[in-house]
Amino acid sequence: MIHAIRLEFYKLRRRFLFGMTVLFVCVELIWALMAANMSFARNPDRVGWEPVIAMLTSLNGLFLPILSAIVVSRICDMEHKGNTWKLLLTCSMKRERLYAAKYICACAIMLSVCAMQGLVIAAFGTVQGITQSVPGFLLARFMLGTMVASMAILALQQWLSMVVKNQAFALCLGMLGGFAGLVGDLFPAAVRKLLVWSYYSGLSPIAQNYTGNELQFYVRNLSDSLPEVGGLMVVAMAIYLAGRFFASRQEV
Amino acid sequence: MNQIVSTRNLSKRYGNVFSVNEVNLSVCEGDIYGFLGPNGAGKTTTLKMLLGLVRPTGGKVKIFGKELEANRRYILQNIGSLIESPSNYEHLTGLENMRVVQRLRDVPDKNVTEALKMVRLEKQKDKKVAQYSLGMKQRLGIAMAMLSFPKLLILDEPTNGLDPAGIGEMRELIKSLPQRYGMTILLSSHLLSEIEQMATSVGIIHNGTMLFQGSMEKLQARSRPAIRIKTQDHAMARELLASRGFFPKVQEDSLLLENITDSQVAQVNRDLVAADIDVLRIEEQTRSLESIFLDLTGKGNSL
Repeated sequence: MIHAIRLEFYKLRRRFLFGMTVLFVCVELIWALMAANMSFARNPDRVGWEPVIAMLTSLNGLFLPILSAIVVSRICDMEHKGNTWKLLLTCSMKRERLYAAKYICACAIMLSVCAMQGLVIAAFGTVQGITQSVPGFLLARFMLGTMVASMAILALQQWLSMVVKNQAFALCLGMLGGFAGLVGDLFPAAVRKLLVWSYYSGLSPIAQNYTGNELQFYVRNLSDSLPEVGGLMVVAMAIYLAGRFFASRQEV
Repeated sequence: MNQIVSTRNLSKRYGNVFSVNEVNLSVCEGDIYGFLGPNGAGKTTTLKMLLGLVRPTGGKVKIFGKELEANRRYILQNIGSLIESPSNYEHLTGLENMRVVQRLRDVPDKNVTEALKMVRLEKQKDKKVAQYSLGMKQRLGIAMAMLSFPKLLILDEPTNGLDPAGIGEMRELIKSLPQRYGMTILLSSHLLSEIEQMATSVGIIHNGTMLFQGSMEKLQARSRPAIRIKTQDHAMARELLASRGFFPKVQEDSLLLENITDSQVAQVNRDLVAADIDVLRIEEQTRSLESIFLDLTGKGNSL
């Protein structure tokens, strides 16, 4: 399996996927950190880690579904474009292994995105002079929630990218997902729970609430979040298995 | 000789149409087997079924004496293939594409160098495949198929996109492989002339059905010349020849005698003249392989 994953990374040479991913995340981070910076300037008494994390989780809902669509599409598209399914399958590569290798490759890229975000938040807070020490546990929860939501979205995107050759459909789904991720919190809870893209903010360790005219940030209980994390992981696995089943049945 | 590939009643149906219908293919060790048929005859579908890319609707496939279903991994490890258009990653260089297959096949570096040299791509190996011509992509595809120097090489229309010089080189390369590396070659084409110059055995498929299978000599035997005799009275001439043990076919305005020696021709002529049947013309009629192929696959069909 490791051999297959390493091969996926080898094939991504010259696709500028890593550079593009870093650039994309940088744009999001600049946006989030500038917004946090402006907020701190206006309300110096509310300087803390919570607004920074909350700001980034909100923007993750918009950016990461699109980024996931791009990453998965780039990983799958090279096989469609190069007509290489035949080559891989006749080299006794199993379809299931190939599907898994591509998924793990996409997950590894998104994991590095999560890690990058965690590190940048820590660096930003330190530079801003936030008095509390770096909240390692909160950041770990933030990264876990972001990663689990991404895993479900990546599974969905991979299903579409593998089955439908034209990657415009997959990218459209990514954009619709970005919209759903941004406005997901505005939907009733029952609807929101059905939208995998809304879980970036749904699994965030920081919740936001208006008290009168003032926006309040508070830390969610871990015990409240864990069942949702577990449930979403099951959904991600179900989407992955369904995608793998349909993609493996296709004739090349 | 050992059978390397054998199929029994291999069929593939799409909807109500049989793309391949009960094909019994037999390729022996060391053969260059030419799989011939017009476009859409079912060649590629058959080859895809041999490689497990398409599931057969019916029938069995045995390669290296083992059932494909149960021994897929072992069988595929010993086959190199190029099916339809060449497969490659256009954003990578030729060498990097070879490295991808090298990792999949787990073969040493020297195989990469040798395969690139065999298809004359060693000087262009560092160029991106996107900048390759169709012929270069085809040659890279063949190099990728040969990378592990497999026991069986399956090539689907391998000379597509090559210029005349390239076709000649590819022909010589393919012909040399059984002797140099002990490979068995199964190659498909819709061009009879191409198969005629390379193959030792031939299979002709049309509308999914195998029409002919055997050695090239057996096919060429069908092209032996026949003697066409034109007389004043065909009915009487036929009767007379039948009494002498010759059974000519009536073709248009002549009688056609097949597998007949020169002395027999002279004897027939003497008998006809002696019986007062005027002989107007005696001529040799040669049949090209192409006309045999057209007869088998149906005249007027586009190749």
